[in-house]
Amino acid sequence: MSEPIVVTGLGCVCALGLSADESWSAARDADTGIHVHDFDTGPNGPGVRTYPAGLVRGDATAALEAAFGRRIGGSLDPFAIFALKAAHEALGQAGLLGQRLGERAACVMGNGIAGIQTLEKAYERLFGLKASKVHPLTVPRVMVSAPVSAVAMEFGVTGPVFATSSACASAGHAIAQGGALIAGGLADIAIVGGSEAMATPGGMRSWEGLQAMSESGCRPFSVGRDGMVIGEGGAALVLERESHAAARGAKVLARYLGGGMSSDAFHWTQPSLEGPVSAMRQACEAAGLLDAGEILISAHGTGTPLNDKNEAAAIRALFGEAGAQAHPVIATKSAHGHVIGGSAAVQAVIALKALEAGLAPPILGYLGPDPECGELNLVLGEARPIKARAALVNAFAFGGLNCALAFGI
Amino acid sequence: MSGRDEELIEIIAEEALIDRAKLDPAAKLEDIGLDSVDLVSVIFAIEEKYGIEIAEDAFDRSDTLGVVLAKIDALIDAKAA
Repeated sequence: MSEPIVVTGLGCVCALGLSADESWSAARDADTGIHVHDFDTGPNGPGVRTYPAGLVRGDATAALEAAFGRRIGGSLDPFAIFALKAAHEALGQAGLLGQRLGERAACVMGNGIAGIQTLEKAYERLFGLKASKVHPLTVPRVMVSAPVSAVAMEFGVTGPVFATSSACASAGHAIAQGGALIAGGLADIAIVGGSEAMATPGGMRSWEGLQAMSESGCRPFSVGRDGMVIGEGGAALVLERESHAAARGAKVLARYLGGGMSSDAFHWTQPSLEGPVSAMRQACEAAGLLDAGEILISAHGTGTPLNDKNEAAAIRALFGEAGAQAHPVIATKSAHGHVIGGSAAVQAVIALKALEAGLAPPILGYLGPDPECGELNLVLGEARPIKARAALVNAFAFGGLNCALAFGI
Repeated sequence: MSGRDEELIEIIAEEALIDRAKLDPAAKLEDIGLDSVDLVSVIFAIEEKYGIEIAEDAFDRSDTLGVVLAKIDALIDAKAA
């Protein structure tokens, strides 16, 4: 990467809190955001079903309206509200609020599914209530690019603005693309990240149908793990050309060192070993981390039997059996649930806070070692002091799409 | 103002995300800050609540809120009659 790219702002809204600080504090303190909730399909559906889920802690809309001093309300689907809230926080930290950011600013944010709460309501009207019309703003609220358009309009971003979609790796690809826009000279600032709001009655039934969801909780790399727990939320980072940040006296929080991307080209729900290893290798090579003493690895760590076994093997394949032991591995989905397309951004924010604090947050729900996952340096029980000055954030998606991101402080 | 007009104004405030205090019957829609996108949401919500059909060109943004309320009242009364 020619000119260094720095991180000057962080924002997060998830089951752990309505800000990056709240989310980090809860992750550090093993204060889980996963609880059992009822999901009611309403009078036209089969009824209530109960699942553990990581629903956003607090009222993101009210927080955003308080920050903006005006109503946002029902004008956006929750997945766009989450993105906007996170972007507002990140830009505030970066000292970039109160101005139009202009054509040298970009916004790239990912999501896997689009605004399905809005879509569900629209379809319930048609197919359930047999109403002749759906809400006239259904299309702009549902569309995959609604979050980035909302951010662009709110903050005057007139440079490159688009959404990325690669299922559970969407925000990872968004961050990598934002970095590439800066490296390629198309922008000086990029608001990057992602969001998802899939914890709807229909969304939950869809995951249940795939038999990927746990009934008991998210237990990454643990014996007895039985699936993922759906979360929701969004996170944003402000990436900035180092010289641009320096010229305006912005505080540098971290450095974006590079990203790696690969496709398994193999199976809808089963991961390959080669794809994740390739993405991690690319990111580590770009960042000069292949031989680093200690890296904080924020694992994709969904808690599904297949992912965690494969990811553990991928980490050992890349760093070697002995090398892998040097790197503390965290899996924060055990605390905030799987934010699907927003996950990589939520993980990145927590990983950067962890590097800053010199503390790795614990993996929750762990019952004991699983021989299938082999030896890894898992952070268990409580937050552990770390020496790592760099982090690797993994995001591996259904359909075999992989992304890994490297950051340093 | 009738109770129904109060109800309609509440719907407009809710759908168009406009402060209730700004919704003066003497003010024009364009001065209230009700743009065309807001207007389709308002029309949709009112159609839903009262079971009426409002033509796409029923209102002009230069209409006052009072004129709009009167037109909607007439449609609701016509349905009831």
